[in-house]
Amino acid sequence: MIWFVLGFKNMIRRRTRSILTVLGLAIAIAVLYSLFEFQQGYQTHLKDELGAMGAQVMVVPKGCPYEAATIALHGGKWPRYMDEGLLEKVKANPGVAEAAGVIMDAITTTGGRNMIFLGIDQDYMKLRPAWKITGEWFNSDSTVILGSTVAQELGLKPGSEFSIPGKENHLVVSGVVNRTNTQDDGFIFLPRQTLQGLFDLKDKLVVILIKAKQIDQTDDLVASLRASEVDMNVFPLSELLSTISQLMASTRVFVSAIVIIAILIGGMGVLNTVLMAVFERTREIGMMKAMGASASDVFKLVWAETILTTLAGGVVGVVIAVASSRLVEAVIRSMIPFAPKGSLIGISPLTLVGCTVLSLLLGLVAGFYPALRASSVKPVEAIKTE
Amino acid sequence: MNGAIVEAEKLVRRYQRGTETICAVRGIDFSIAVGDFLGVTGKAGAGKTTLLNLIGLMDKPTEGKLTVLGHDVTRRGISLDRLRRENVGFVFQDFYLIATLTALENVMLPSLWTGHNLEPKAKVLLDRVGLSHRVTHRPSELSGGEMQRVAVARALVNSPKLLCADEPTGNLDTKTRDSIFNLLQELNRTEKLTVVVATHDLSLEPRFQRVIRLEDGNVCR
Repeated sequence: MIWFVLGFKNMIRRRTRSILTVLGLAIAIAVLYSLFEFQQGYQTHLKDELGAMGAQVMVVPKGCPYEAATIALHGGKWPRYMDEGLLEKVKANPGVAEAAGVIMDAITTTGGRNMIFLGIDQDYMKLRPAWKITGEWFNSDSTVILGSTVAQELGLKPGSEFSIPGKENHLVVSGVVNRTNTQDDGFIFLPRQTLQGLFDLKDKLVVILIKAKQIDQTDDLVASLRASEVDMNVFPLSELLSTISQLMASTRVFVSAIVIIAILIGGMGVLNTVLMAVFERTREIGMMKAMGASASDVFKLVWAETILTTLAGGVVGVVIAVASSRLVEAVIRSMIPFAPKGSLIGISPLTLVGCTVLSLLLGLVAGFYPALRASSVKPVEAIKTE
Repeated sequence: MNGAIVEAEKLVRRYQRGTETICAVRGIDFSIAVGDFLGVTGKAGAGKTTLLNLIGLMDKPTEGKLTVLGHDVTRRGISLDRLRRENVGFVFQDFYLIATLTALENVMLPSLWTGHNLEPKAKVLLDRVGLSHRVTHRPSELSGGEMQRVAVARALVNSPKLLCADEPTGNLDTKTRDSIFNLLQELNRTEKLTVVVATHDLSLEPRFQRVIRLEDGNVCR
């Protein structure tokens, strides 16, 4: 028999109390795990999503640039537009390698389906060198190219007929973009002028995506564009990433503080549970000492019991976090204004190990006092205890 | 040791109970020879358990001299824990078996701190106390007499030279009391084990080789 076996058996003796203690700690660890994984998943996917834009700089209409960026990233309807003439001015900037003007709109069908339309031209393709199209590029003003998810959901393929609900139109699918695992999979692409005509947005743009000639001179390009035109918002995507990351970091600090408090409360719960068990087992501890157990032997036993409790809390917490990750992610997504696509709460060995080590450390700390208390029990007095 | 396993001279044990000083053992002299079967008898509060705790190295005297197995236990710095672990076995009135452990695991409990594999010996001892058919049973599945037999086996697992039993039959019916007492007598006779039993049951006195009867901390017989 080893210390941990006896510790485990002692935990079982107080089954309900042990389960409640472990669960309290497990919930705190689960929240911590989800928080860290979410933070990491968010940043990684945001970076990927911005990378998939194929641009370093974004020009959007006046207004909140982050709101505009969110629309540009995920698509949607944003009732602010720029004049299409700005595109030529941007293209004329010597620091610009490529610039693509995009107009967007969205509708929700009577069946509740959200359809996002992007009006693009050949310039957009220059920012999407990885695109593979099954079928072909727009071969007339009445054709559309579908993202792979949209095509799959609607059961459409090149040559299929397509119409935008509520609009007078008759379109044909000219191509389907092979899966990109980006936001593009969920878009419906139309020739820019066609979309402008259908949605009554003539000569309007929502975003201009810019690829810099030299990435290391993006800041100069942004400064030069800002200086040239006052009627637009120019900002580098790196700034967007850093701003969103900072916002997330601030939130993380706040939430982490709450989680740390929850874990400390969990630790106090463990301390209380083990201390109560020590009081209840005073005579038994006295017997063990009478039978030859030293103070350090008793200390080891109580410490082992506490570590087992917190480790169980850590492991159960991680299992809860992984098992409920989809649900938690869905809840978080519904609560925050912008979240990148992809799985935000994944399974990271580092976070798994981190949470387990944290629960182990918590056991070492929380178990110290009860173990010390138990080890100082005098056998003669303990056996007399009623 | 001159054949004495325990020697006591003017042994005193006082302790505090609140503001009151209790003198549980009042300057008694005695010796216990190797292989003795000694009874410490007396009414409740006579000082039996205090004396047994002193003999069994669970406690130190306040005054006087106490030598156990040749060690002066009143000497400063002496480790009673180590001496007790190596030489003394204890049996208590309330058994103190761990509820979640089987009879075998309870007997093997001291292996936690000795680090030795005590399983074979524990099985032999359970057989010796007549419980070879109950090794996998938990205390809740054992009778009072069986639990005390497990406790006796546990006390013997470290091969002690001295077995101290504090009211070992106090919680048992007459028939079970006799069987436990017979077991202790048999261990004393066949294993040459020195056994000291504290009991308030004066009817057991004739069955001991020697008796120290206490009254208010003094030897009265």
